[in-house]
Amino acid sequence: MNYPVWDVAFGAGLLMALVAGLHVFVSHFAVGGGLFLILTERKARRNNDAQLLTWLKYHTRFFVLLTVVFGAVSGVGIWFTIGLISPTATSNLIHIYVWGWAIEWVFFFLEITAALLYLYGWDKLEPKVHEWFGWVYFVTAFASMVVINGIITFMLTPGNWIANHQFWSGFFNPTYAPSLLFRFCISLALAGIYSLITASLQKDAELKARIVRWGAIWTVPSLLLLPVFAWWYIRSIPQLLWVSARGAMPTGTHFALLACLLLGGTLLLVLVSLVRPSRLHLSLSLLLAVVAFGAMDSFEFVRESIRKPFVIVNYLYANSLYFTPMPGDGGFTVDNISSAGVLQTAKWVQNRNLTQDNQVAAGREIFRVECQSCHTANSYRGIHQYIVLRHWDQDKLHAMLGVLFMMHNNVMPQFAGTDAELNALSAYLGSLQSMNPPTDLHPVGKTVFEQNCSMCHQARPDDHLFTNMPKDPQTAVTALSSLPAMFPIMPDLKLSEDERRALVQWVDTQRSAQAATGGN
Amino acid sequence: MFDPSMVPTPDPNPLPAPYWVFKLLLVVTFALHILAMNFMLGGALLALLARWRQKGSQFGTRIFYDVAKKVPVMMAATISLGIAPLLFVQVLYGQFFYTSSILVAWPWFLVLVLVVCAYYGFYFVSYQGQRRHQAVGRVMLFSTTLVLIIGFIYTNNLTLSQVPANWAQKYFSSTSGWGLNLAEPTLVPRYLHFMTAAVAVGGLYLVLIAWSKWKQDQQYARAIFQLGGKAFLYATMSQFVIGFWFLFSLPKALRMIFLGADSLATSLLCFGLVAALVSIFMMSAALKKDNIRLAALGVTSVTALDVLTMSTMRELLRMAYLKPYYNPQQFAVQTQWSPFLIFLVLFVAGVAFWFVMLKRYGLFSKTKAAQQ
Ligand code: HEC
Ligand code: HEC
Ligand code: HEM
Repeated sequence: MNYPVWDVAFGAGLLMALVAGLHVFVSHFAVGGGLFLILTERKARRNNDAQLLTWLKYHTRFFVLLTVVFGAVSGVGIWFTIGLISPTATSNLIHIYVWGWAIEWVFFFLEITAALLYLYGWDKLEPKVHEWFGWVYFVTAFASMVVINGIITFMLTPGNWIANHQFWSGFFNPTYAPSLLFRFCISLALAGIYSLITASLQKDAELKARIVRWGAIWTVPSLLLLPVFAWWYIRSIPQLLWVSARGAMPTGTHFALLACLLLGGTLLLVLVSLVRPSRLHLSLSLLLAVVAFGAMDSFEFVRESIRKPFVIVNYLYANSLYFTPMPGDGGFTVDNISSAGVLQTAKWVQNRNLTQDNQVAAGREIFRVECQSCHTANSYRGIHQYIVLRHWDQDKLHAMLGVLFMMHNNVMPQFAGTDAELNALSAYLGSLQSMNPPTDLHPVGKTVFEQNCSMCHQARPDDHLFTNMPKDPQTAVTALSSLPAMFPIMPDLKLSEDERRALVQWVDTQRSAQAATGGN
Repeated sequence: MFDPSMVPTPDPNPLPAPYWVFKLLLVVTFALHILAMNFMLGGALLALLARWRQKGSQFGTRIFYDVAKKVPVMMAATISLGIAPLLFVQVLYGQFFYTSSILVAWPWFLVLVLVVCAYYGFYFVSYQGQRRHQAVGRVMLFSTTLVLIIGFIYTNNLTLSQVPANWAQKYFSSTSGWGLNLAEPTLVPRYLHFMTAAVAVGGLYLVLIAWSKWKQDQQYARAIFQLGGKAFLYATMSQFVIGFWFLFSLPKALRMIFLGADSLATSLLCFGLVAALVSIFMMSAALKKDNIRLAALGVTSVTALDVLTMSTMRELLRMAYLKPYYNPQQFAVQTQWSPFLIFLVLFVAGVAFWFVMLKRYGLFSKTKAAQQ
């Protein structure tokens, strides 16, 4: 709201995911692949293995064309894209960490130079000097990872920075070390995985087999070590955030599961490639790369999911509002906006005052400045889809908008604005589809739960919905007629008597099923 | 009426070093970026020119390939040296730069796609070479065109970033980020000013290449020298038209800073013009007397100085544009000493180490390179 919001119909978030996903997959390769080049060169020279050396030369070209061109440009691409999508976050990260970025730039510059000289030096330099360039490349590439890792982990676990605003407190934050080891491990695995791509194009079956086995030495141990570092990493993340990946937030949970599955799939495919290494086909090596890409992207998705509603945890929300008021915040905090009004505070809106006629138009602008950093109207994470899925009518929608911040382990910031503005937002979102859902004559308990409760309660026996709902069915049905009376911050959903009955019955069957299996 | 309060508020973090440190870094790294870009783009354009003009002739084709081979490296330099000003412009002018970028978001995003395509095209040319002579010419033309488009998008974004008064109307007529800043009166002359400079500096790049080959193959080196030197000469002479067109397309108040109202800006303009004149005379003398050293050392130094001068003028112009909305004193400063010093040390060491790398590669020992 401080900055204009770029309206991308299909969801700016997807664009970000695309650029960042591709970049991460190549830039990690750029680190591990550097070590791979130099150690493979040494190995080949030690064994006087001219064939392996010839392949490595070819592989170097592939490496440089991928990392120096695509890796570097997509890295700039992340800057461009976050600047377009989250200018406030970018501006903060720049001002807090310019010197970090500047240091990383020095390494980057040396890294690119070394990569090019290593490539062009294959036919030109003495082996010793050539290897020296390989080492320079690897050391500088690793150093840029050392720097960038501090800033990325800062966003998830800013640690003491929140209190003292000291560069190093945020940089060497609680997840710094595990994340670095985790990422380095990934980069070594990727070195092996990428080597299979050029290996699979080799005609000489025996050479191919040798490269495939050598690649596996990089891949298999790294993949096996990865869970260890992942575990350490997860242990260093505050539990409150991590539960998002353990069921409290659907997206985070799905991607955590997917990451595990694809990681297993990656290992499996590597093992498959080892069955007949001399016959490795390009299609298998590409499949392996795609699966590994999926695994890695899923991990990045988990990281971003559990960070929500923040971009910088406990400092800045994804929709560019500051978590706590502070000097220089420009009034962009939930507290301030809730009293001053979003239409009055936001810089980039046209409808400054609400009238009878501009409800939908103003609501649309409110949606743009407050929600669109994570949602679209009809497409990626579209509100339209949610409303249809949950069968909400206008009243329920309105009630739910007031309690967004409780949903899915607090995945969203609190709505910031006046009551009149909430009405306008609700009017706009309601206009996205027809708001008269079919009235169900025989409601199903599970469906009632999913449509009305599942955004804040999980369908698991230890959730308070199950433990604290009155045991006596009739008492429960009566109690449910006013959720706020049960717990003050719950939304006032007007459930019909039939719905309440069905729900209570379903809750009861869940409980007894639970009791039958002996708890847990 | 434009409401100045629409200019975004900068984030609450203080500057982690004094204002002038960032200013210096911005101007210097921008000049380096633009020099590398000029080598890349000017080199590519002149390579194409050589290929067309002397169709069939041995030298034309040879120059084309010799220069084209180097373009990818200059592209790498352009990008690597572009990152630093990208960083520092956000430090100092984030609230303007992000906003204008968002208003031209799609073209701005497209820059990335264009850079990747152009870059791979240049690599294709340098690897395929003579083997696919026809295709290579077309790819080279294609990539060079993309680079010209990239430059155009840059000028669109940066001119827009300096005129907040044009933002609201633009945003509220469409929030989708399609569109450029075509209504800007300085757009075309400013863009042409940059692109013509690219040809001139690209010409100098050819002179430097000719110089490195002078001892080995003088006849060929002379052909490159002639091409590069003349390109420099004509391009720089036409800057006297384009440059003044640019100057007179500026709103009067801004133009006047270079015409007396601001003594620093005015002296820089005078200096810049004199330097350009001197470089023209030097180059034409060098061409006439076949004096490559004069061209390679003399003209290059004067031009390097001129580029730095012009970059500083560009910065003063931006300050003048933004005067109603921007006040350097607004920044709170809280120097982060240790990371700042680490940067300085690494920067100096990095530059030194960079030269060590080039030296170990054999770039400075001609004889060694010639043996290969
Ligand atoms: C920080 C990012 C973020 C912001 C800002 C945000 N949301 Fe959400 N919202 C999410 C995510 C993520 C989910 C889905 C969680 C999941 O399924 O894992 C979600 C889910 C929803 C749902 C569906 C809940 C359900 O499960 O039925 C609605 C409705 C919704 N958001 C509305 C809004 C509105 C309206 C705003 C603006 C006032 C907003 N959101 C702002 C991230 C955000
Ligand atoms: C917007 C979020 C939200 C929605 C939607 C919601 N609840 Fe709750 N509910 C809460 C919160 C927060 C608490 C208190 C924390 C806790 O105990 O988990 C709570 C507590 C409860 C409790 C325990 C009350 C007590 O005495 O401790 C019950 C029972 C309950 N909810 C039932 C429901 C049912 C049934 C629905 C669906 C019809 C529902 N809730 C929908 C947020 C929600
Ligand atoms: C590859 C082709 C490129 C071309 C032709 C190009 C050209 C230009 C031109 C002409 C300008 C000046 C615009 C003006 O003031 O009107 C400029 C500025 C700039 N370029 Fe590049 N550029 C290229 C790539 C890049 C890349 C990849 C980056 C980033 C990594 C970059 C970073 C910058 C920055 C930050 C500025 C503005 C500096 C300032 O405003 O002080 N450029 N570029």
